[in-house]
Amino acid sequence: MSAASNIPLEGAEPLAAAGPRTGTTEPRSPRRSSWGKLLRDKSAMAALAVILVYVVVALLAMSHLIARHYQEALGTAYVPPSRQFLLGTDLLGRSVLQRVVHGTRIALAVGFVSTGIAIPIGVLFGLLSGFYRKRVDGFIVWFYTTVDSIPYILLVLALALVMGKGLVAVCIALGITSWVGACRVVRGEVIKQKELEYVQAARAMGAGGGRILFRHILPNVMHLVLIQASLVFVDAVKSEVILSYLGVGVQGEPSWGVMIDDARIELIGRGAWWQFVSATTAMFVLLLAFNVFNDALRDALDPKFKTK
Amino acid sequence: MSQAPRNTRVSVPRGRSLWTREARASRETAVSSLLTALCAALADYAPVAVLGTTLLLCIGCTPSRKHLGNVFRAPLGSNLKTLDPAQASDQYSNQCQFQVYETLFEYKYLSRPYDIQPCLAARPPEISPDGKTYVIHMRPGVEFQDDVCFPGGKGRLVTARDFVYSIKRMCDVRVKTFGWWIFDGKVVGLDEFRKKSEALPPYPEQWHPALYDEDLPGLRALDDSTVQIMLIQPYPYFKDILAMPYAAIIPHEAVEYYGEEFLNHAVGTGPYKLTEWRHGLRLVFDRNPKYHHGFYPTEGAASDSAAGLLADAGKPLPFIDRIVFTIFEETQPMWLNFLRGNLDRSTIPKDNYGDAVLPSKSLRSEYESKGIELVQAKDLDVFYVCFNLEDPILGKHKMLRQAMSLAYDAKQVIELFANGRGITAQSPIPPGLFGYDSTFAGPYGHYDLEAAKALLSKAGFPGGQGLPEFEFLTMTGSDLRQQGEHFAQCMARIGIKIKVSIFTWPEYLDRLKRKQTQIMRAAWSADYPDPENFLQLLYGPNASPGENNANYRNPEYDSLYRVMAVIPDSPERLKVVRRMQELLAEDCPWIYSYHRINETLRYQWLKNHVPHAVLDAPIKYYRIDAEARRGYLGG
Repeated sequence: MSAASNIPLEGAEPLAAAGPRTGTTEPRSPRRSSWGKLLRDKSAMAALAVILVYVVVALLAMSHLIARHYQEALGTAYVPPSRQFLLGTDLLGRSVLQRVVHGTRIALAVGFVSTGIAIPIGVLFGLLSGFYRKRVDGFIVWFYTTVDSIPYILLVLALALVMGKGLVAVCIALGITSWVGACRVVRGEVIKQKELEYVQAARAMGAGGGRILFRHILPNVMHLVLIQASLVFVDAVKSEVILSYLGVGVQGEPSWGVMIDDARIELIGRGAWWQFVSATTAMFVLLLAFNVFNDALRDALDPKFKTK
Repeated sequence: MSQAPRNTRVSVPRGRSLWTREARASRETAVSSLLTALCAALADYAPVAVLGTTLLLCIGCTPSRKHLGNVFRAPLGSNLKTLDPAQASDQYSNQCQFQVYETLFEYKYLSRPYDIQPCLAARPPEISPDGKTYVIHMRPGVEFQDDVCFPGGKGRLVTARDFVYSIKRMCDVRVKTFGWWIFDGKVVGLDEFRKKSEALPPYPEQWHPALYDEDLPGLRALDDSTVQIMLIQPYPYFKDILAMPYAAIIPHEAVEYYGEEFLNHAVGTGPYKLTEWRHGLRLVFDRNPKYHHGFYPTEGAASDSAAGLLADAGKPLPFIDRIVFTIFEETQPMWLNFLRGNLDRSTIPKDNYGDAVLPSKSLRSEYESKGIELVQAKDLDVFYVCFNLEDPILGKHKMLRQAMSLAYDAKQVIELFANGRGITAQSPIPPGLFGYDSTFAGPYGHYDLEAAKALLSKAGFPGGQGLPEFEFLTMTGSDLRQQGEHFAQCMARIGIKIKVSIFTWPEYLDRLKRKQTQIMRAAWSADYPDPENFLQLLYGPNASPGENNANYRNPEYDSLYRVMAVIPDSPERLKVVRRMQELLAEDCPWIYSYHRINETLRYQWLKNHVPHAVLDAPIKYYRIDAEARRGYLGG
C-alpha cells in the first residue's frame, strides 16, 4: 500500500513505514503480515513451486532450449512409454513428452496474455463504475450483464471464428470475454472503499477523481485484483484446452486440448492411453496448483473470506 | 455433388440413444406391471391375472427369433426424412426407396466394371448416331403395386407417360430436389420447363399443373410404351443418369392422393412394398406380389461362379419375403445386436475395428466361429491433396509439385488413417471404373525422399530454401487435422514448411470457390460410375468456382476430355483416358492419396451378397439360408 497507507485503516495496525520505532513489539503492515502468512502456508508454497516449474519449462520451450523436435517423427506410431520415449509416441511417431512440454508453453502463454487483457479491462470498468455511479455505473453494469448473459463458450467460439483461428485469436477472445468477474468484484469494493475516511480525507485535501481512484483506492483493492487474476488465469488455461479440443483453438501446435482430441480417437481404437494421461495430468496438476495457491492467496490477502 | 461426403461425418457422443432406449424400456416395464395389476384387480381371480401378465410380457419382449421366417434384417444409420425418390439424397433413404421404386435402367449386379441393364425399359436404348437422341421402349405388362391411391385400390400398368411425369415432377422447382444437377443443361427444353415451374403456385394448390401436360421437345412419350429423349449434346454417361434413384418412375395418382404426405408413402413397381414405418424405430417391407420382371443375373466372372454366386442364375426375384430395417442412431447398439445375430449384416463401427479385425486384415477367430464373414469392397472414390495452380509459386514450378508428390507417404496415410483399408491412388480413376489400370504408376506417384530432395534442388529450392510457408487447407475433424499434420511432417522432411489451417465445411468451400488456397486436402466420391465423373475434376473450363479446384489448365488434357466425354467405352476411349492419366502424372496438379476399401460384416447364412459400390442395398438378389441361420442361432 502506498499513498493510501498514510491514513491508517480502521482496525488495521499502524504502518511499519510510518517512522523508526523503538519499542518492544514491532507492528507489522497488513501486506507484510499477509505475505508472511502465505509464506508459512506449506501447501501454498508447494503449489507455487509447481507453478514455477511450469513457468521455467515453458520459458525453456519458448526459447527452443528443450523439446525442439516436437513436430518430427522420432519413432514409429504408438510406442508405449519406454526408456527412449518416457511418455511414448503418438499417431505420427512424435514424442508425447515433447508435445506436453510445448503444450505447457501454450497453456501458460494463453493464461498470462488473456489475464493481461482481461484484468485491466475489468479493473478499469470496475473502478469507474463503482466510483462515479449514476450513468457511468448504469452503463457499465448493463454492459457487463449483457456480456455475461451470452453463453461463454459460444461467445468465445464466435470470436475465434471471426478473428481467424490461432494462438493470438484465442488469447484475445478469452481476454475480452473474461473481465466481468474482476469488474464486478472491484466495483463492489470501490463502492465500499469510497465512503471510508481516507478517501474523504483525500477529497477534503482537494484531490481530483482520477487521483483518488488510482492513487488511493486502487492500491486498496489490489488484493482482490490479484485473486481475480489468478482465477481468470485458471479459466483461460481451461478454456484454451476446451477450444483446441473443439478445433477452434490453437492451430498447428501441440496444445493439450489438441492432444486430448487426438487421444480420444486412439484411446478407444488402440488403447493408447499415454497421450491422454500425459496431457490431462499436465493440465490437472497446473490447474490444481493454481487453485491451491489461489485459495491460500485469498486467505492471506482477504481474511474475511478465510475458508480454513 | 459428392465432395468428401462420408469421411467428414462428425462423430456424436455415444450413449444418448442407448439411454433413451433404456428409459423407454423401463417405462414400458412400469406400464405393463401397472396394467397387470389392474387386470388382476378387475378380474378378481388368478388365472386372468396370470394370462394378462404372460400376454403383456410377450408384448414387452423383443420378438422371438425362433420363427424368423424368410426375413432379412439390416440396420439403418439414421432416421429417414423421406421416401420420395426425388428428395431422397442420403444413403439410408436411398436404401429404402430402392426396394420400392425402379428406374428405366439399373446396374448389373455382378458385372464389373459397373454397367447397366434394362429394368423398366424393355431393352437397351436406341441411340442416334450423333449420340443425342434416345428412344427407349418400356417393358410391357409391368404394373404399379396395389395401393389405395389407385381407383379400386388396384395398381395399373406403367406407361411411358409415367416416366415423363416423374422426370418433370422431379425438375419442378417446388419439389426442391437435390438431384436437379443430373439433368441440368442436358435435355432439350427441360431447363425452360424448370424456369416456368418457378411461376407455379406453391403446394398444395396444384399437384398436377397444366404445365406437366405440355410437350417438351426433348422429353416426350411417343406412345404408351415409347419414350424419346433429346439431349443438348451427347453424354455417354446419360444411361447411368437414367439409372439413378432420382429418375425413378412414380405414379401421379400417389402424388395427388397423398399430397404433402407422399414422402411418408411409397408406391412403385419394385420387388417390395412398404408395410410399416415407425419413425425413428424401423421400416418393414414385404414382397410385392405384382413384381414379376426381375431375374437373377446369369452372367458373372469366373470367380463369381466359383463363389457360388451363380447358383440362382435365372431364377425369379426376390428370394426374401420380408425386409426389416431397424434404425440405430448410435453404432454401439447396432454392433451388439449384430453380434447377437439380430441383424444379418453390419458395418464395422470405427471404435470396434481393432476388436473385430486383426492387423492381418482377417477376422478374429471368435467372430469367425459365430459364422461372421468379412467382406471387402472397393469404394468409387479418391482422396488427394490438391494444389492451386493459380498460386504464383506452386503453379509455376512443376518440379516443386513433383518433389512434394514424391515426399508424400500415401502408404502411411492408409495405415494411419484408414486402418489399412485403402489402395494407393495413381490417377483420379478408382478401381471398378472403366479406365482404371492397377499396373499404371506415375513417375512421381511413390514415396522417395532422396529423389524428392534432388528434384527440389533442381527446381531451385535446395532444402526448401527460398520457399515461403505454404498453407494447407483442411476441414474440422480430428482425423482431418491429423492428416494435415501428417502432410506437414512429410513436407518437413524435404525442408518445406506447411501451416495447417482448419475450416468448417462452408468456410472451406468458400475459400475453394474464391481460389484463396495454396494446398488443400480433398476427396471425390462418384456420382455415377463413369471415369468422366473423375476426369472432369481437372477440366480447364471447370475451374473454380467449378469443381476443378486445382485450376488446372492443359490444352491437350482439355481437348482429350472433350473427346473422352462423348465416346462410348471402347479401346479408343481407353487410349484417351490413359493419355489423360499420363498428363496428370507428369503435371502433378494433385498428389494422389488413396482409394478407400469398404469393409462390412455378414453372417454366412446371407447368400448372394456381393458388395456393390453404386447399389447400397440390392436386397432383391439376396437369399437367406434359413436352415443355416437356425443352426447358428438355435431354436
